[in-house]
Amino acid sequence: MVEVSALDQLDYYLASLDELGEILIDADQSASVSKGVLRLALGTVMASKGAIFLHHPNTDQLSVLASQGLKKQNPFLSPKKLLNQSGKYKNTHLTLDKNQSWITGELKKCTQELGTKILVPLFHKDRLLGLLCVGKKFMGEAYTSAEIKILEIVANHLTKALYNYELIRNVDEKGKQLNLKLLELETLFDISVAISSVLDIDELGEEILWRSVGILNASKGMMLMPKENSPILEPNSSFNWDNTDVLISKKLKVFKKIEETKSGAILTPEDKNSLQKKLREDHIIIAPIQAKDNILGYMILCSKETRHGVEAFTQTDLDLLSALCNQGAVALDNARLFKDITEAKQFNESILGSIATGVITLDPLGEIDSINQAGLNILKMDRNETIGNHYMYLLEKDMDIISLIQMTEMENITHSEINMPFLTVSREAVVNVSVAPRIDPGGNIRGLVVAIEDITDVSKVKNTFKRYVSKQVVDELLDDDAKLNLGGEEREVTILFSDIRGFTSMSEKMSPENVVSTLNEYFSDMIDIVFKHNGTLDKIIGDELMIVYGAPISAKDDTQRAVATAVEMQKQITCLNKERIKRKDMPISAGIGINRGIVVSGNIGSRDLMDYTVIGDTVNLGARLCSAAGPGEILVSSTVWKETQKHHSYKKLDPIKVKGKKNKVGVYRIEQDN
Amino acid sequence: MSDFSLSVREEGDLVIIETSGYLNNVGGEKVSEACYEKMDGGKKHFLLNLENSKVVNSIGVSILIEIIEKLQDVDGKLGYYNCAPIVEKTFNIMGLTKYSTVYGSEAEGMAGMA
Repeated sequence: MVEVSALDQLDYYLASLDELGEILIDADQSASVSKGVLRLALGTVMASKGAIFLHHPNTDQLSVLASQGLKKQNPFLSPKKLLNQSGKYKNTHLTLDKNQSWITGELKKCTQELGTKILVPLFHKDRLLGLLCVGKKFMGEAYTSAEIKILEIVANHLTKALYNYELIRNVDEKGKQLNLKLLELETLFDISVAISSVLDIDELGEEILWRSVGILNASKGMMLMPKENSPILEPNSSFNWDNTDVLISKKLKVFKKIEETKSGAILTPEDKNSLQKKLREDHIIIAPIQAKDNILGYMILCSKETRHGVEAFTQTDLDLLSALCNQGAVALDNARLFKDITEAKQFNESILGSIATGVITLDPLGEIDSINQAGLNILKMDRNETIGNHYMYLLEKDMDIISLIQMTEMENITHSEINMPFLTVSREAVVNVSVAPRIDPGGNIRGLVVAIEDITDVSKVKNTFKRYVSKQVVDELLDDDAKLNLGGEEREVTILFSDIRGFTSMSEKMSPENVVSTLNEYFSDMIDIVFKHNGTLDKIIGDELMIVYGAPISAKDDTQRAVATAVEMQKQITCLNKERIKRKDMPISAGIGINRGIVVSGNIGSRDLMDYTVIGDTVNLGARLCSAAGPGEILVSSTVWKETQKHHSYKKLDPIKVKGKKNKVGVYRIEQDN
Repeated sequence: MSDFSLSVREEGDLVIIETSGYLNNVGGEKVSEACYEKMDGGKKHFLLNLENSKVVNSIGVSILIEIIEKLQDVDGKLGYYNCAPIVEKTFNIMGLTKYSTVYGSEAEGMAGMA
């Protein structure tokens, strides 16, 4: 046997320690370090079997970190007295020559399998980090004190290394947790950004759901919203969920509790809640989505994933989900308000777009901030010409309208004016204008609303017709444009002519003033009667009146009204004469002729002087009948007689010859009651 | 969207895996299985198209880390493209992008992994 000198032995140990340093520096994992250290330790003391066990303080388990000569071993529970007994051997060793009664169970089996002779508890201060077990020495020799010492030194280094790795592991774990916290904060931040950028409720709901599922490691999620006028909660969005057709009522106990407490819930398998049965999920976390005290919906996540299965959600998870839902509630509330406002705006715009009145809104500076289509049509401008411009610039030709706006600006009350010329558009344009202050819900003035109604056409019609027809007819015309046809057309009308008998010779005996006052008095009474029966005053020629019934508006009783007009006219002349005789004025008398037939009606004349009138043989016969009528008489043609004979007494007169007619025409005289 | 699916194709030495669905425990496992099967066949470079995986959780990330660790042992690489912003942000925060690369497109990824 070769003698090994103490110097050689020392050299060998120093080389081992040097190698130990290399192992500790090079290796970057506790497992590989332990493997290297174990190999070195066993080699140094010439042992073939050994193991390093790692102690897990949380579970009080031992696991094999490195071994030689030990079959694969799962982690096992430490012997009950491990901490107590091994603590007696801190920084030292114990030999297992004698039976150590506290080494029991799986550890005992392992030590036996390894043939353990020396066991070194790896203590850092009072913490047991693990155990170094060394089997019997080569050829069964006893370990020398130097070998045991070197084992203790190696064990000491191993302890430091394990402690360092534990620290590194803790730092890594803390770093991971910090990253997760950072991710949570980023998620909250992202959702707060989404609040201001995403205004679509569905999109926003989906965004919040996805974020919540991801950040909480849930396997699936669903956002439930209450169905209007129903106790049913409907899925607004879902993620990774197969069947979302489950009928969920907000009357379920869990939702009622959430509504009462205004805080979420965590359901575990022990709860056996009806929601768990419905969803067929054991682990559920629910948070209300509430804006102020109003619950807009619920966020439901299921099955918190781990690397090896699922686990229960924690209060920290619920706090995070509640924070996400609170953020989401603000966003959803904003989105809902935005949707409501958009709908209201579209509704208002569709109303404004459909009305004929121009509506222009002015901001507090007097600049136009909106105008509807009718407003653009009335102003004859496009939107670019109006929006952003000051009203004084746009309406500079209409000082009256500007004054109206300024009065409203100063007094903050509505001002209106009708029949205003609108020179901005043309000399002929006429408008009704109303200016009102825009008042916000806080009562603050936010500008003005100018409503402009274009009545140019109406004004033209009124101006044209008010001289000829009664107000009732004008209104009827304006109410229904279809009745108004001012172009040339053939139509059946009843014509009434009246003429003062002997007025020319009578006027020769009167002063001019008396002639004018007599005619004015006469026409005033007669025209009132005409308008009373809705006749159209076609012409006044000298002392003659030409009245039309059936143009521009036809009625079934045109002839009845014409005859009624004539009868009333004669009665009024009788009354008028009584007054005139009292005043010692000469009495007057008129002859009236009425005919009915086809005429051509329309605006007839030059561009500068145009009148609505009727022409044709019917008109001529009417005039002829008038000429034939004696003082106080009413003569009508056979067409008029046929239509009115049931209502009036007639006497048939001899037919008369009319210019342009081959045959004489029939004439009837109304027998009036005097 | 409850089913996770993937398709695998090879472009020379590069393996392209297109995923669809939640990249969680289930999805991550399927990706790792596909990667390890190809690694057993000698492949070392993998590119994940995450266009249809809009959500990833930390379990999915930890499985990707395992894949990266295994690839590092054989000098391999993992890359991703078509990542949703939220996914890319998660990869950044969880430290994945220190050991793997997010590319803008498949072409960019193929060039980067070459």
